[in-house]
Amino acid sequence: MAPWGERLAGVRGVLLDISGVLYDSGAGGGTAITGSVEAVARLKGSRLKVRFCTNESQKSRAELVGQLRRLGFDISEGEVTAPAPAACQILKERGLRPYLLIHDGVRSEFDQIDTSNPNCVVIADAGESFSYQNMNNAFQVLMELENPVLISLGKGRYYKETSGLMLDVGPYMKALEYACGIKAEVVGKPSPEFFKSALQAIGVEAHQAVMIGDDIVGDVGGAQRCGMRALQVRTGKFRLGTVAECEAQ
Amino acid sequence: MAARRALKAVLVDLSGTLHIEDAAVPGAQEALKRLRGASVIVRFVTNTTKESKQDLLERLRKLEFDISENEIFTSLTAARSLLEQKQVRPMLLVDDRALPDFKGIQTSDPNAVVIGLAPEHFHYQILNQAFRLLLDGAPLIAIHKARYYKRKDGLALGPGPFVTALEYATDTKATVVGKPEKTFFLEALRGTGCQPEEAVMIGDDCRDDVGGAQDVGMLGILVKTETRNVDGATIE
Repeated sequence: MAPWGERLAGVRGVLLDISGVLYDSGAGGGTAITGSVEAVARLKGSRLKVRFCTNESQKSRAELVGQLRRLGFDISEGEVTAPAPAACQILKERGLRPYLLIHDGVRSEFDQIDTSNPNCVVIADAGESFSYQNMNNAFQVLMELENPVLISLGKGRYYKETSGLMLDVGPYMKALEYACGIKAEVVGKPSPEFFKSALQAIGVEAHQAVMIGDDIVGDVGGAQRCGMRALQVRTGKFRLGTVAECEAQ
Repeated sequence: MAARRALKAVLVDLSGTLHIEDAAVPGAQEALKRLRGASVIVRFVTNTTKESKQDLLERLRKLEFDISENEIFTSLTAARSLLEQKQVRPMLLVDDRALPDFKGIQTSDPNAVVIGLAPEHFHYQILNQAFRLLLDGAPLIAIHKARYYKRKDGLALGPGPFVTALEYATDTKATVVGKPEKTFFLEALRGTGCQPEEAVMIGDDCRDDVGGAQDVGMLGILVKTETRNVDGATIE
């Protein structure tokens, strides 16, 4: 294997995934992953530009950053690229009024959005709010529309919390796609627009950036397709089996 | 053309073929008596996720059909049969009224998941439990994958979307056991000792009854019933 120096030659910026790389979410504000606080400090102390690129959609950026700072991380809201703000931009541009299938923790990110008389559905990592009733409400909204639009904040299959693996937004997005016979638009990793906006925020080109994540598809695959380099960590949701699957593909 | 073997088994669909709601199809009782006179094994087959064999038996007996419980085979029976073959202990996400059909099957410390039409079980915590079992290698058995069904307050999500969710989450495929899946017909015939080539399916649904039966090598006979609620996407 080529030395790290060669592989990372020309890197000026680092995109960092949060869940599974910096910390595992869970009760009591979650747990920092061993070594991550120090690693972030070292990156920030170097000449590299750092941007946090997350698909976190169960809580607002403010809440997320608050939790991470309490764990000792050097991070601020302005350094985070997250899907909810990106989705709001799209909703405003296209005159869309969403039924929000979301967790209350992220609702504040949608304060500026008109949700009356919905003409689309926005689905995020709603966790416990993925009740049958809420799913059915979203389904009924979509079935009434002549032009059903389903916007999904990410499409991850699952993530790791301190208590174990948890179903992410992806499976529920697929459920609505199947029920309605439609395809969702994904905002967040691995969509190229999302990575590009993170790179723009730090003024770094794709070939000069490396993405560090625990999701072989969402983080690593998505970044590589944009022309970035990527590093997979073995923390978070990482499972040996999935690596073998990707190599086979 | 190869000669067909002699007919040894007859599968008869229930709703739309033998009866429509709470009325027998005209001529059906006589037809059944004649069938009994022939030396064939008869099975009454249907897709259902919330009627136990006992429920169906009561309804048919009220309509004066001479049927015994062991002649009834439903998609629930197919699921049970699969569980017994695989020797697994299921987490049952099915309507309470379907539970009698799983009596005797161990459900503690589950290592399999069975999903039917059971909205009361389709909330996050339960689905997450099922997800973790599947990720550990447990098989996923779906009674059917209907997208939605009709309720008084409009359309409601069926089990299909939630089965799809779990398939995507775990990168696995469910075994669907209801008509028109091959599993249904093969399991129905398993107890008769007959090969598909020695059996015929009589039903009113071109796709679910006749089509499905033909796909496993059975003969299919389509009956025409006058009134049908046609909605390809819904099965209850």
